[in-house]
This record gives sequence, structure tokens and C-alpha cells, in this order.
Amino acid sequence: MKGVVFVKFNEFIEHLWGDEFWDELLFEAKLPSEGVYTTVGLYDDQELFTLIGLVVAKKNISAKDAQIAFGKWVFKELYAAAPPQAHDFKDAFEFLHGVQSVIHIEVKKFNPDAILPEFTFLDESPTTLTFHYQSPRKLCFFCEGMVYGLAEHTHQDVLVSHKECEHNGDSRCVLEVEKI
Amino acid sequence: MTTPSADLARRIAVLERKIEREKKARQMAEQQLEQYSRDIYQTNQSLQTSLAYSNKKQAELEFLAKESVLVGSESSFQDLVSNTIELSSMFLKAKYSFSLISKNGTPVNLDKNKIWGRELGWHSAPAFLDQAIQYLPLNHDGALETWLVSPIDNNFGPEVAELHWLVYVNFALTNGSIIWLAFFNDTEYVDEESLYVFETVRGQLQSGIRRRMTDMRILKRTVQLQNTVNSLEQAKRQLIQSEKMASLGQLAAGVAHEINNPIGFIRSNLEMLKLYLKDYRQLHLEIDQLIQQQDSIDALSYQQLYEKLDMAYIESDSEELIIANIEGLDRVSDIVDNLKTFSHNSNGELQPVSLYESIVGALKISANSLKYEHTVDNQLPAVSPMVMGNSGQLQQVFVNLFVNAAYAMANGGTLSISAQQSNKLVTIKIADTGCGMDDKTLKKLFTPFFTTKPVGVGTGLGLSVSYAILEAHNVELHVESQVNVGTTFELIFPIVSI
Repeated sequence: MKGVVFVKFNEFIEHLWGDEFWDELLFEAKLPSEGVYTTVGLYDDQELFTLIGLVVAKKNISAKDAQIAFGKWVFKELYAAAPPQAHDFKDAFEFLHGVQSVIHIEVKKFNPDAILPEFTFLDESPTTLTFHYQSPRKLCFFCEGMVYGLAEHTHQDVLVSHKECEHNGDSRCVLEVEKI
Repeated sequence: MTTPSADLARRIAVLERKIEREKKARQMAEQQLEQYSRDIYQTNQSLQTSLAYSNKKQAELEFLAKESVLVGSESSFQDLVSNTIELSSMFLKAKYSFSLISKNGTPVNLDKNKIWGRELGWHSAPAFLDQAIQYLPLNHDGALETWLVSPIDNNFGPEVAELHWLVYVNFALTNGSIIWLAFFNDTEYVDEESLYVFETVRGQLQSGIRRRMTDMRILKRTVQLQNTVNSLEQAKRQLIQSEKMASLGQLAAGVAHEINNPIGFIRSNLEMLKLYLKDYRQLHLEIDQLIQQQDSIDALSYQQLYEKLDMAYIESDSEELIIANIEGLDRVSDIVDNLKTFSHNSNGELQPVSLYESIVGALKISANSLKYEHTVDNQLPAVSPMVMGNSGQLQQVFVNLFVNAAYAMANGGTLSISAQQSNKLVTIKIADTGCGMDDKTLKKLFTPFFTTKPVGVGTGLGLSVSYAILEAHNVELHVESQVNVGTTFELIFPIVSI
């Protein structure tokens, strides 16, 4: 996984609970990288899951909520770093359509090996957008959080529901975004 | 509860670890940056190599394509060679190059002493050529199988002093001649890959040269054939004219008769008029005498004198005689005009002519042949359609048919001439009631030198020449004949609209 996610997760945790909590997490996690993250590096996915697991245990929240919260917070951070083409939109649905055709293409230019989630749009009306989220990392809740972050940015109120979810025993993840 | 100093120590420890991680992260990032720089440098290097390679391949392809277009073009042998020299020199980066044709080891054509130079293009350089030729193995027997490269070691003179390599090949031309293409390089080495490309060009060039040699042979042959066709045309024109003159010779006696006849009666008429003039003089004399005797002449005396000398008859007869003479002279002049048209040696050019006028003219020329026992039934309408033709030649055809008809009707008969006109065609029928022809004669009708007339009477060329003339006029010809009934010739002319 790209180092930027770890760096941002670090900032997120320090923002919420301070650098001592982060230090504590690293001490307990005993990660191969020892928590030395750079945005340009690549790190084992498992390190993120270990860190989230520790937060969940220590703060007594669910993994789902942790992912959603991080996703929502990190959207604006990643958005600020995104290429100018990604800034040219006004609507959340419009942005979601552009994720693959604009943002992922830009990401691939710098990181040809990056593993990126794929969206397959299943249905769309003026108020509802349904898409199939595909990623070997199965971070559909993180994705949900990102959608909320996006809606906050576009000043739209949305409700994200998992019509199908691999975490519920379904064969795939289908997310529905509804403007409310 | 922890003490403030313990808190501080813990805080310091956390921050130290944080700083440590940041330092390590910075080092990692810096290493990553260096790695990126190295990667970029290497990518750049390999891109440059690829670019150079692709530029080289592009140059090769361009050279091959241009040469291929040149070989496939309609350019002459000379242009093919000189353009190949230019293209190849540029591709090989040669300093000087030239082509040379040799025969039995000796140069026969030094392309007017011109060579191609990298800076000057085509220019005259006899001094260079003198020295450069010595490097070519002109005595080599036959064409080379491949391009050859030889180093320029021996110094044959100052002109070649700076040159290092000679790349050359040759091709066999016709008549044992050989053409050499030679390229002199001042570069340190000759790129081996260029020679592979050159080898491809050699094959193309060889077929291009062969094709041009064949083209030249074909062109030569075509010119020869054209000359032959021209002389045949000339011979045909001469033959037509000769035949015409021969038939004119045969007609001469009849034509002379035709002219003599009016001349005869004109003369006797003039004799008569001479006598009438004498009578007028007599009348005048007698009037004079009466006036001298009586100072005047009365109407009665004049009337008596007038009647005595039969002046009324003389006046009316004179008028008739003069009219007859004018008609007679018109006939003579008509015949002479038609003979002039008939005998005129034209170049066979076709122009719009009045078809019936030609037929009537021919009738006049051959009138004597059809005079005595023959009836001419001319059913041609007054207004004639125009056809593309040569009036002299058409008259020649009709005279021929009329004279033949007269010959076939030795004991008299009728010659009918009729016409049938449709939109685009006019059919002329010339029918006689003569002896007719059997199938054997019909088959040979248009064969040159075939004749049924006794030796010395016909040339045997009349109908064959007529046939050739009609063919040139796009006329369809049909013959029907029955022994002892007669013969009908049918000529179908295309009408020209004016």
C-alpha cells in the first residue's frame, strides 16, 4: 500500500489522540517498518490492518467505524494532493465517475504497480448512484468514509448503504449513494 | 500518578523516537529520490539509444522507400542511375560518388566526367575521376554478386588523399557493357548495417536496370515497326495512285473520244457560222449598193434582200449553233475537271464530300465505255448526302465499277445506279445486266492481280485497290452476282452530318 495512506493515518491518529498514542501503537504493533513511513514508499497492507486493529481495541470502537472515520478525514487530504484535473467538478456523482477515468489514471502514471479499487456503475438516477466496489483489500468501509468526505466537500448530504457486502457474506460489495 | 520529571522523560522519549522515525523516513525518501534519479537517467539513456536506433531505421526505411519508388517509376535509365547515386551517397554519407560504364575492362562513358559530391552535388571533376577509377577492378569478368568494400590504401594521387573506403557494385547491361556504381567515404568506418540495406537496394536496382534495358529494346523495336508501317502506308498510297493512272491510261482513248466529239461538232458549227458571217457581209454589201443608187433604202427592198439571203434561218440557226458550242465546251471542261479530280494524287485525307457528285463525275469520265449499246439508268436523287471521303479516290472506285460493268456487258445492257438513304447511312447500288460471275471468280474478286480480262487489258488491281479505298472510308461492301444475269455492288456509306 502507498506510503501516503500510512502517513495520513499517522496524522489522523495524532490529530485525534496525539503523538504519544501513535508512539504507543507503534510500540505494541512491532511493525517491520517500525512506523518509518514516507509518502513515496510502499508498505505491507497488513501494517495498516494491525494499526487499525490496535486502535479498535484501545478505543473500543468498531473496525467499520474506524475505517469510515479515517476515510472521511483523509478525503480532503488526498484531494489537496490530487492533480488539477481532479478539481474540476461540482457534484459527488460526477466525481465518483471521474475517479477511474481521471484520478486513477494519474495515480498509475506515477505508480504503475499501484493496486487501485475498481468501480463498476450499476445504476444511476438523479439522486441515487449504485456501484460495484472491487478491491482485493476489501476496504469498502474506508470507501464509504471517503464518499462522506467527498459529500462534505461538495456540500451535499448523502447516505451510503452497502446493498451487498463481502463482510456480510455476500459475494461482492455494492455501494449505494443517495442524495438526501 | 507519575511525577512531572517522569512525564517529561517519557515525553522526551516519545519525541526522540518520533524524530528518529522522521530522520529515517527522510533518509528513505532521499534514497528513494536518488533511486528515481538513477532510474530516470537510465530511462533517458535507453530512450536516447532507442531514439538513435529508430532514427537510423527510419533513415533506412526512407532510403529504401525512395529507391523503391525510383526503381518502380517511369524514369529513364540515366535518371535511375543518377538518382540512385544521390540517394545512396546521402544514405552512406559518401564524400564522392559516380557511375561508370565499362566494356572489356575499359571505361566507355564517364558520365561526362561528372561526379556527385557531398558539398557540391553533381559537378565536373576529371582529375578525381582519373585517380578514383584506378581503385575499381574494371577487368573483373561479369557482374558482382554483392556490394564490395575496399579500403583506400594506395595513394593514387592528392584527389583521393582524404578518403578511407570505397563501396562499389556493378550490373551487366546489354552488349557486354557493365555499369559501375562507386562511393568514396572519408569516414573512419563504413556502417555494416548500411551494407545490408544496400544489398536490398542492389536487388531492386538490378531488376530496375533490366526492365529499362528491355524497355529500350521494345522502344527501338516499336520505332522500327512504326517506320515499317509508315513505308507501307506510303507504298499503299503509291499503289492507289499507280492503279489510278493505269486505269486512266485505259480510259484515255475513250476520254479522248469524249473530248474529240464536241470538238468535232464545235469545229463544224464554227465553219457554219463562218459561212453565215459571209451571208451577213453579202447582206451588208447589197444594202450599201442600194443606198448608193437611191440615197436611201425602203422597207420593201430590205425585206426582199433579207428573204433572198434567208437571214431569218441564219439568225435562228446561229443561235442554236452557239448554244450547242457552249454546251460542247462545257462538256469538254467538265471532263477535264473530273479527270483532274480523278488523277489528283492526294494524301488520302478525308473531308466532307458530296457522294452523288463523285458518282456523276465518275460517270462522265467513263461515259465513252458506256456509250453505244449501254443504257445508263441514273436514279440518284438531286440532293446528295455528304460523306467523309476523298473525292478523287471515290471517283476511282466508281470509275472502276462502271468500266467493269461495261466490260461485263460487252453486248449491251443496262447499268442502274440507285441510292437508299436512312438516318445515318446511304446505300448505293450499282447493278449491271452483264455476264455475271461464278463463285470461283467472286471469291477472288478482291485478290490483287486477279483479272478475267485478257493480258494487257487490266492490271488486276482495280477492285483490290477499290476495296482498300472503301475500307479506309469505312464503307461496307457487298457483291451479288449471277452468271448471265448480272452483278450488283452494294456500297454502304456512313453519312456525315454538317
